Amino acid sequence: MVGVMASCPRDKALSLFNSAKFSIEIPSKLEPLRQLQEIVVYRDPTLLVEFVPHLMELQSEHFSPIRKFLAEMIGEIGLKHRQFLPEMVPVLISFLKDDTPAVAKQAITTGTNLFRSTLEDVALQALPDSLRESSWTCMLNFKEAVYPVAFQSGSEGVRSLAVRFVEATILLFTPDPNASSRPVPPEGGGKSEGFSISWIQGGLPLLAAADLALEASKNLGMLLDLLRSPSVRGLPYSVIFVLINSLSTIARKRPAFFGRILPVLLVLDPSTVVIKGALVSNWRDRLVNALKSLNAGDSSERALGQFDNVPGNLNHQTGDPHAPKDGTLSMHVSDATPIDAGRKRSVAEDAGDLAHGDDISGKRVRHVALVSQESPMQVIQPSPEKSQESSPLNMAQSSTGDGESGPVQQLVAMLGALVAQGESAVNSLEVLITSISSDLLAEVVIYNMRFLPSTRPSPESGEEETLTSCNISFLISNASAEIKQLSGTEHTMSLLSALPQIASLLDMKPLPSSSSADLTEERKPPIPMDLSIPASNTSTTDVAVLPRDAPASSIVPISDEEVNQLAVLETIEVGALQTGIPGLDDVPSVEELKEALDSSLSSSVDLVSGSSAKQESSSDHMSYDKSEALSPRASSGDMSWASSTASAPIVLPSSYLLQKVPPLVVALTDEQKDHIQKLAYVRIIEAYKQIAIAGGLNVRFSLLAYFGGECPLEFDSLGLLQRHILADYLNHEGHELTLHVLYRLYGEAEREQDFVSSSSASSTYEIFLLTVAETLRDSLPAADKSLSRLFGEVPYLPKQALKMLESLCSPGNGKDGKDLQAGDRVTQGLSAVWSLILSRPPIRDLCLNIALQSTVHHMEEVRMKAIRLVANKLYPLSFISQKIENFATEMLRSVVNGNAGGESTNIDRSNLSGGQIDSTEGVPKGGQLLKEAGLATADISSNINDSSSAKTLSSSSISEAQRCMSLFFALCTKKRSLLREIFLNYGSAPDAVKQAVHRHIPILIRTIGSSPELLSILSDPPTGSESLLMQVLHTLTDGTIPSPDLIYTVKRLYDSKLKDVGILIPIVSSLPKDELLSLFPQLVDLPLEKFKAALVRILKGSPNMGPVLTPAEVLIAIHEIDPERDGIPLKKVTDACSACFEQRVVFTQQVLAKVLNQLVEQIPLPLLFMRTVIQTIGSFPALVDFIMDILSRLVSKQIWKYPKLWVGFLKCAFQTKSYNVLLQLPAAQLENALTRTPALRQPLVAHANQPNIRSSLPRSTLVVLGLAQDTQSSSQAQPSLSSADAGTSNTQALTDTTKEAKTVG
Amino acid sequence: MKLRHAMVCASNQNRSMEAHALLRREGFDVSSYGTGAHVKLPGPSLREPNVYEFGTPYKQMFDDLRRKDPELYKRNGLLPMLKRNSSVKLAPQRWQENAADGSFDVVFSFEERVFDMVVEDLHNREHALMKTVLVINLDVKDNHEEAAVGARLALDLCKELEAAESWDDTIDEIVPAFERQHRRKLLYSISFY
Repeated sequence: MVGVMASCPRDKALSLFNSAKFSIEIPSKLEPLRQLQEIVVYRDPTLLVEFVPHLMELQSEHFSPIRKFLAEMIGEIGLKHRQFLPEMVPVLISFLKDDTPAVAKQAITTGTNLFRSTLEDVALQALPDSLRESSWTCMLNFKEAVYPVAFQSGSEGVRSLAVRFVEATILLFTPDPNASSRPVPPEGGGKSEGFSISWIQGGLPLLAAADLALEASKNLGMLLDLLRSPSVRGLPYSVIFVLINSLSTIARKRPAFFGRILPVLLVLDPSTVVIKGALVSNWRDRLVNALKSLNAGDSSERALGQFDNVPGNLNHQTGDPHAPKDGTLSMHVSDATPIDAGRKRSVAEDAGDLAHGDDISGKRVRHVALVSQESPMQVIQPSPEKSQESSPLNMAQSSTGDGESGPVQQLVAMLGALVAQGESAVNSLEVLITSISSDLLAEVVIYNMRFLPSTRPSPESGEEETLTSCNISFLISNASAEIKQLSGTEHTMSLLSALPQIASLLDMKPLPSSSSADLTEERKPPIPMDLSIPASNTSTTDVAVLPRDAPASSIVPISDEEVNQLAVLETIEVGALQTGIPGLDDVPSVEELKEALDSSLSSSVDLVSGSSAKQESSSDHMSYDKSEALSPRASSGDMSWASSTASAPIVLPSSYLLQKVPPLVVALTDEQKDHIQKLAYVRIIEAYKQIAIAGGLNVRFSLLAYFGGECPLEFDSLGLLQRHILADYLNHEGHELTLHVLYRLYGEAEREQDFVSSSSASSTYEIFLLTVAETLRDSLPAADKSLSRLFGEVPYLPKQALKMLESLCSPGNGKDGKDLQAGDRVTQGLSAVWSLILSRPPIRDLCLNIALQSTVHHMEEVRMKAIRLVANKLYPLSFISQKIENFATEMLRSVVNGNAGGESTNIDRSNLSGGQIDSTEGVPKGGQLLKEAGLATADISSNINDSSSAKTLSSSSISEAQRCMSLFFALCTKKRSLLREIFLNYGSAPDAVKQAVHRHIPILIRTIGSSPELLSILSDPPTGSESLLMQVLHTLTDGTIPSPDLIYTVKRLYDSKLKDVGILIPIVSSLPKDELLSLFPQLVDLPLEKFKAALVRILKGSPNMGPVLTPAEVLIAIHEIDPERDGIPLKKVTDACSACFEQRVVFTQQVLAKVLNQLVEQIPLPLLFMRTVIQTIGSFPALVDFIMDILSRLVSKQIWKYPKLWVGFLKCAFQTKSYNVLLQLPAAQLENALTRTPALRQPLVAHANQPNIRSSLPRSTLVVLGLAQDTQSSSQAQPSLSSADAGTSNTQALTDTTKEAKTVG
Repeated sequence: MKLRHAMVCASNQNRSMEAHALLRREGFDVSSYGTGAHVKLPGPSLREPNVYEFGTPYKQMFDDLRRKDPELYKRNGLLPMLKRNSSVKLAPQRWQENAADGSFDVVFSFEERVFDMVVEDLHNREHALMKTVLVINLDVKDNHEEAAVGARLALDLCKELEAAESWDDTIDEIVPAFERQHRRKLLYSISFY
């Protein structure tokens, strides 16, 4: 197979062609075609004769990729074998109208290449005559076919390429000013970029250079027309882009057209395109880019200015939704332009473009154009690179120095550019001149007049100063190489006053000086005058320059004669040429110079000041100077330049010197530079300390901050600044300075899109802020407000700053209370938090959390401070009150549910059960505890202390509960409705929590008083909260008169829900007497302690109403209780009585007497009456007579009819020895008494035996006593009997009595 | 028509690589570049960025950073990013030095500065091929989240371009439509190879 193929490529090719032709799928068609191409084009070109026609048949192929490939193939074939062009080009032409853009595009691409190479071949006569004509003709046909595509609407992609084609023809038809004047053999056989139409030798019949140039010019005109209004409106943007790009390329490569193109680009009126809206800014950018690439820096700036000035700029007209973006965009662009231009250039340099031959030309031309705007004569530059380097400055300069702009300047610039081309551009120049209207031409001339010196010897007047400087600036940049050469080698420095230099420069061009002179004279009136600047002028310039050289050096005198100058300068130029690239040479030469002359100078500053002084003394405005030569590297010089501009004419000399200064720094190593910068910076900072005293700091802060940010990364400029700030925060106005720095850093972080710089800027920001904040915290007194002010005003607070605040507010949370003593710091932190909450809504929640955490801090001091802040200051703020409330409620619930304090509570439980042996018993015990807690009287805490030891175990959990609840309690005072929450949770809370609540609540209640909210809770207390309720009531009534509402509420509660009369105790003293009396049994029924408390209250009564019940009434009420009727154990009643008797101060004997007096009248007698009588005797023996009286009244009331009282009566009588009373008893009762109490008989008999008594006794009584005779025997025997066993029975009776008394009592 | 895409950002690390990875996953013909002078990655502070030459393998940077401070670089996402990058290609490439990679049809930049550099660079190259190239800028902030968003947008746009028979005829519709749909502003330009 391989053999066959090799042996017979034709067969192979044929089969490939067939398979391609007859396949029905694109890939299977393309692949054979590729192989076919390989064979016929490269391996066996002889086959082409046969195959080209075949291939051309493919033009009607259905599949567009095939046609496209065919177009490609035509290119391949055509480039190598021109003879087929006539056959193939028609196909290409037909492809131009192909429906598929890709095919048409390929056709144009192919055609462009073919066109170029054919033209070259024809021009260089590289083709046989026959071929030459035919192929050129068909290429011309192609060209004619493409033109309409470019200039008429159609597929945008195709049209773009067609425009490029036109661009290519324009470039091909016009001479390349940069190309060598002779054809060089193209390297590698490809199309040589270096081709120039100027190679065409005269007499080529096919190619008439003039015609071609004319055509190019015409085409250019058409392209430009496209961009002119109104046609530009109809263009798609992509085509506009391409047009702008193409035109800028043309302008770049053919400076001759610069003048025609630039005005069109500049006038491109955005408003014409504006209708299409959104893309305008886009489009504008492209224009800016194009302009930039033209390197007409100032022009583009100006153009931008125009854009911005277009009335009703983009945004307004379009109402574009992206309007704001546009706005920022345009701002950005215009702001950035000056810097940008510089940057772009340097980028270009970096890229090593200098190495490109044609690139240099491009750049040169650009600079020419640029500079020539100011003065056409200055256009010619011997050293492109030099001017290139200075270009950024030039731009900046002209933008400041020259307020005017417009077509005239553009035109002047263009003229200058053309002049720069020398002879080769003469034609174009003529064309141009003739096409300019006479008015415009006149303007150009007048414009140029401005560059005339007003008087010869003293050149520019003040008015023209700026212009002049612009002028000069250019000159100098051009000339600097020479100047250096001069000074370095000959110490002449002779001067080149600006204009003579121009002349010389003109001379250096390859063209005869005479012709250039002609030109200039023709169109540029200023020049001749300039040329004739007198020697005096130049010599002064010398002086200005010389300080560097030392005056002694030989100055070559400069004659007025142009020729002479030219000669001098020519020699200089020769010197300059020694080095291939003057720009690079620049530095070394200057360095030499410097070493030679100024080696002793220690700093550039010195040099500047010294020499500028000299300069001034030389009294020369001479500005001429090269001042602006300011090399772009003279960054340090820039500043002084800026400053010196303020001082008008003298400026220039000094800045001139600056131009020479920068090299002084060159020798420094990086470390040295850093060191110097650092020293400088430190010095600046130090200086601020003095400025601070003088005042006026504010203005300078941002400057200092900016410095800090801008300084190279190598040394810690911010750190230095920080130390300065912190060294004396207050006196150095550290706050303001810090803010400046922070805002700068913040801005940087926000602005930078660059990941690297933005994140590092923000980290720097954080570090800076933190360091300052920490130092403030540590160094300033706690009362100082600086910290909170700082936090309040910085652009934003990073997390670490908040953390710091947190640790300030809740000390010891993290590291174990290193700064526990710092209570004041807590205040400081809290007040900072407070002000942050007020002033920084975005981080309000975070700050609030810090404050809230602090309110549950384990240290009471901290907690109290935080709570005060939160409750008093923050809680009233409506926007956060809900959050605070939620947090407090949360904490409360958590502690109730045992979450927060859970651990300790659990521990307590286990302790409890452990101590109780049996865990089940633990519960009742707990219940009891509860009860005891419920007993709480006024002094809760003492009660708690009294409770079982288990409670002391839980003291830690109590404090834990307190920790969590304090805030809530504090809030309750602000919002009383929260109280209910406490009551609701109380029931289910663990003991510790309850105790904590009990500790808290009195304070709270005392603050609140009996508010409606509280009353509503009281009227409907949640279950389980009874003991709490009780305490609340106690607190409420403690020392004050309960309000009627409260009383009413409590009574209702008692009536409706809570039957525990205990709750009434607090208000008992406020109850009406009758109610109280009706409640009395219940009160007595209370546990003794409670009763006693109630008793106290009752007796004490309310301050203004006095006691509700007198003690007597109390006792009587007690006695009125009927245990059976009221269902109250007798024991309770006796206890109540005893309780009364215990209070001897209150229940005095008078009281008792009164009580007894009343009681004794009651019918029936109270059950406990006799017991009370006995107790009264026990307590107050002095009442014995009174008692006897009572007893006798009892006798008259037939006391024996009350069996229980009877026993007591006898006992009492026995105790009180009230024999008289006994003797008053009827005989039967007396006998009964004596039998009950045998011990009574003997004293009684003795008593009765007294004569005065015996006589008054009735006989029956005497009989009972055995004193009468009636029943003598029996009665006598009886007593003896009874007396016999009296000893025993007596005691027995007594014990009986006691027993009975006991049971009764 | 199969287009060749180039994704370009400053350092060829985050935005361009995010888009590169995504487009590659979607089967596009894609390359990525950076226009900066060096590859810069955030360091421990503003003062100490990590600077590498273009051409330094991602893996090497990964190892370097991991050696320096694994915690920091893991947290700020650099290590994961480098790991991802090293799975996409060997090393960051510089746009200005990519002439050997042939011509692209669509160049995506993610920052206006980068866009300018690309356009300028293209302008300064020789225009021998007469081949159009679409340069599009989509502003994307240089962080991981935004990069992911930006990459998806780029993918969308690339899909549309790919779908169009000839983008240079329809670009004037595609771009405004895209801008409307995503509320993002695009810059674009047409250059030549």
